[in-house]
Amino acid sequence: MDYKFVPSVCPYCGTGCGVLFEVIDGKLAGTLPNKTHPVNEGKLCIKGWNMHEYVNSFMRLKQPLVKSFGRFLKTDWDEAIRITADRFKEIVEKHGPDSIGVLVSAKITNEENYLAQKFARAVIGTNNVDHCARL
Amino acid sequence: MQAQVEQWLKEGTVDLFIGYKKIDGHVMPHFFTKEKIDEVKDLVAGQAHYSLEKIATKVAAEHPDMKIGILLARNCNQQALNVLTIWNQLNSDNIKTIDAFGDACPSEQAEDIAPYKQQNGLSKSMVPEDAEAFDQEQRFSRWMYEFSKCMKCYGCRNICPVCFCKECSLEHKDLVGTGNLPPEIPVFHLVRAVHMAGRCIDCGLCEEACPSDIPLRLLYRKVNEIVKDVYDYETGTSPDQSPFSVLGEKVVLETTKL
Amino acid sequence: MTNSIAGFEDSGCIFIIGTNTTACHPLIARRIFRAKEKGAKLIVADPRKIQLSRFADVAVQHRLGTDVALLNGMMHVIIKNGWHDQKYIEERTEDYEALEKVVAEYTPEKAAGITGVPAEDIEQMAELYAKNSPAPLLYAMGITQHTTGVDNVKSCCNLAMLCGNVGIASAGVNPLRGQNNVQGACDMGGLPNVMTGYQPVNSPEVNEKFSNAWGRPLSDKPGLTITDMIPAMLEGKLKGLFVIGENPKLSDPDWNHLNHALKKLDFLVVQELFLSETAQVADVVLSAASSAEKDGTFTNTERRCMKINKAIEPIGNTLPDWEIISRLSTAMGYEMKYNHPEEIFDEMTALTPKSYAGMTYERLGIDGLQWPCPDKDHPGTPYLHKDTFARGKGKFHGIEFKAPAELPDADYPFALTTGRMFSHFHTGTMTRVSRHLDVEQTTGYVEIHPRDAQKIDIYDDDIVVLSSRRGEMEVPARVTRAVPPGTLFLPIHFGENPPNVLTDSNAVDPLAKIPEFKVSAVQIRKLVTELIENTGS
Repeated sequence: MDYKFVPSVCPYCGTGCGVLFEVIDGKLAGTLPNKTHPVNEGKLCIKGWNMHEYVNSFMRLKQPLVKSFGRFLKTDWDEAIRITADRFKEIVEKHGPDSIGVLVSAKITNEENYLAQKFARAVIGTNNVDHCARL
Repeated sequence: MQAQVEQWLKEGTVDLFIGYKKIDGHVMPHFFTKEKIDEVKDLVAGQAHYSLEKIATKVAAEHPDMKIGILLARNCNQQALNVLTIWNQLNSDNIKTIDAFGDACPSEQAEDIAPYKQQNGLSKSMVPEDAEAFDQEQRFSRWMYEFSKCMKCYGCRNICPVCFCKECSLEHKDLVGTGNLPPEIPVFHLVRAVHMAGRCIDCGLCEEACPSDIPLRLLYRKVNEIVKDVYDYETGTSPDQSPFSVLGEKVVLETTKL
Repeated sequence: MTNSIAGFEDSGCIFIIGTNTTACHPLIARRIFRAKEKGAKLIVADPRKIQLSRFADVAVQHRLGTDVALLNGMMHVIIKNGWHDQKYIEERTEDYEALEKVVAEYTPEKAAGITGVPAEDIEQMAELYAKNSPAPLLYAMGITQHTTGVDNVKSCCNLAMLCGNVGIASAGVNPLRGQNNVQGACDMGGLPNVMTGYQPVNSPEVNEKFSNAWGRPLSDKPGLTITDMIPAMLEGKLKGLFVIGENPKLSDPDWNHLNHALKKLDFLVVQELFLSETAQVADVVLSAASSAEKDGTFTNTERRCMKINKAIEPIGNTLPDWEIISRLSTAMGYEMKYNHPEEIFDEMTALTPKSYAGMTYERLGIDGLQWPCPDKDHPGTPYLHKDTFARGKGKFHGIEFKAPAELPDADYPFALTTGRMFSHFHTGTMTRVSRHLDVEQTTGYVEIHPRDAQKIDIYDDDIVVLSSRRGEMEVPARVTRAVPPGTLFLPIHFGENPPNVLTDSNAVDPLAKIPEFKVSAVQIRKLVTELIENTGS
């Protein structure tokens, strides 16, 4: 029986409203505003109220994809990671680390952004790191 | 309270108990289950206004036979349950409740005196007679002021314990225009007000969820006053469906080809 | 933001410029409504008539890209009347003379000539703002997405400092961040020139610290911004691109240009929730888990770092982004082994002394903490620059007005601006798949004033063709008085009507490299197609 309410933060704009995810039977059944959150005090906008819908969308990618002769093929993680790592290594060897750019994201967590720029700087060896704050 | 819930869960009187638990200083709704019986000691009644009844309808929709226990923190929780039962959203045989009344009602909590609102709008602490003391022109402009703040979050509908239609008239393009802020006023709010007639149990959650401080409760109190006067129907306590039983699920508005 | 969201409620005057707050940051707009009702004054400056304009004491619609002139005009009036905060200027700031000299030229009449805002309105704005402290200034992309983005921001800061509005509660200069974790992405070093906490990559101490911590020698040469990466791709200097949770194909200026650049890449990897426009042209697509499927932290626009918690298991065969990056790193010979995001957070805070060092998951709880939070006992910081600025004294800049890169002319007579609408978000990947959001607006549209609509004989929902020097596209019209005559507004959410077909990638701010999405010159005409006559029934 996986029934719970999980406090979290809205993934849309920069306001950072506190929400509660309603989990019924292990599925995301709805979103409620956190009544006592310092930012939104129990209110949400139309996007916040419906955030479970994009999570549950049938349009979500369900597995990694690799393009072969112009078409996407479903693959597993081992292969997707291996291909990506090999191609990046190849480019670095041939053209140097500054021939690769990494666009981190205003949508992923701090931890993930930290790792992404660490990946660019320590693993690839370039400061070509940016994201869409400008856009 | 905790002992009762623990017993119910252990004996299988209920499969799930919906109450409150405090996490990091916040009182939050919580599902208590037999598997995690230890958590029951953290069950609190507390100062929180979540519609546990509405949460129960979501569970019941997935598992019609599940026995659900609900903590009732306020009198309106009981009324909401009555309405949901009358409208077949919950099966009263499967619902067990514990009364822990005493939690403050949202609109009974003191409201800041906001001079600009007093001058141009309507206060949340008003009753219908207060609003009717203004002449018609004043009343109209004050309501329009309040409605024009609407940011169309649908929070009033989403939080409402007695809103359960699968297709909502508020999202019907032929009734209310879409894509603009504020939404088409006063139509948006009046469509909702009409649907609250004979439904609204005056819990105040809509007003509390409204980011624009629109005095929605005042509006719905007025429509229910009319329902009471005209049909002698007392929403929340009358045992039958309201005279407006045509509203809601049964009616499907479709545009017809000319 | 220098200040906090809740604090806006207690301000004396709120100045909104270049933010459609009710549509884009509704829960900040709530504080504006509340402040107004409690008695605060409200000034709204926006080329469009926005919802907040209805509630403003003064609402002006200045011409696109004339923010500097408008702000200089206000400052001229303030200084002329002696409404500025002399004591604050003396104690807290420097280079006041530079500002004074420039704004002396900007009489309300001159500013009116540039902005199209009546001189009396500029005078009234100045008086309301100067006389009702604390007065927060709120802006968003309407200020920054210009070739003069940096100038605009500096002018906002000039105005705020002139009236002593920086470093006090319920005031400040407040950019409203458009994405949930833009603040965090910047704080975490997601920029080409800085590491976490804005530590410059070219500082020897910083380089040494991070090189030691990460066990690899690091480059001290600042990298390319996103705007510079595109020409680098075209020139064949940039061969591989790793895009995480972004959709530059729709969000970058000049669609055709970017499309061409992406094709030149040897290898494009996109890590995404959906098969976005950019993911569609990738060589490898890595399927990521959503924010409901992982733990971590987001930092909101008021610098509040808050925890998100895993609610459900990742859907399908998806992985949280941190796990994907760890696996990729490890596969490339640099082992990243983390059991939980908390370990990453702790590694980051240890390297970020001034802002995040005092934070732990336990301390964050649900309410989070606002940086700077330098040590474990620090309660966080609701507003910045209390006694001193980061650089010591606040620096005034004398800023001259510069016209946008492209102005309407005989060939392209309309000024086009872009932005968001309330039910959709950014490039629409998340919102257009959401039923309750899609129902509000299913297609793109262009806002046009009734007078212009009449001239080209169009009504609501008629398809029009918009063209600029970059390209052309078709879009349904929405006839509305929200835009002034001669101006068009196009929302950015709709991939089938991409605004970046029209916008210019060369028109960027020289310093911030932010593209001028807010002003382009376009032409509009009615789409004429041969329709089979509807015979009716």
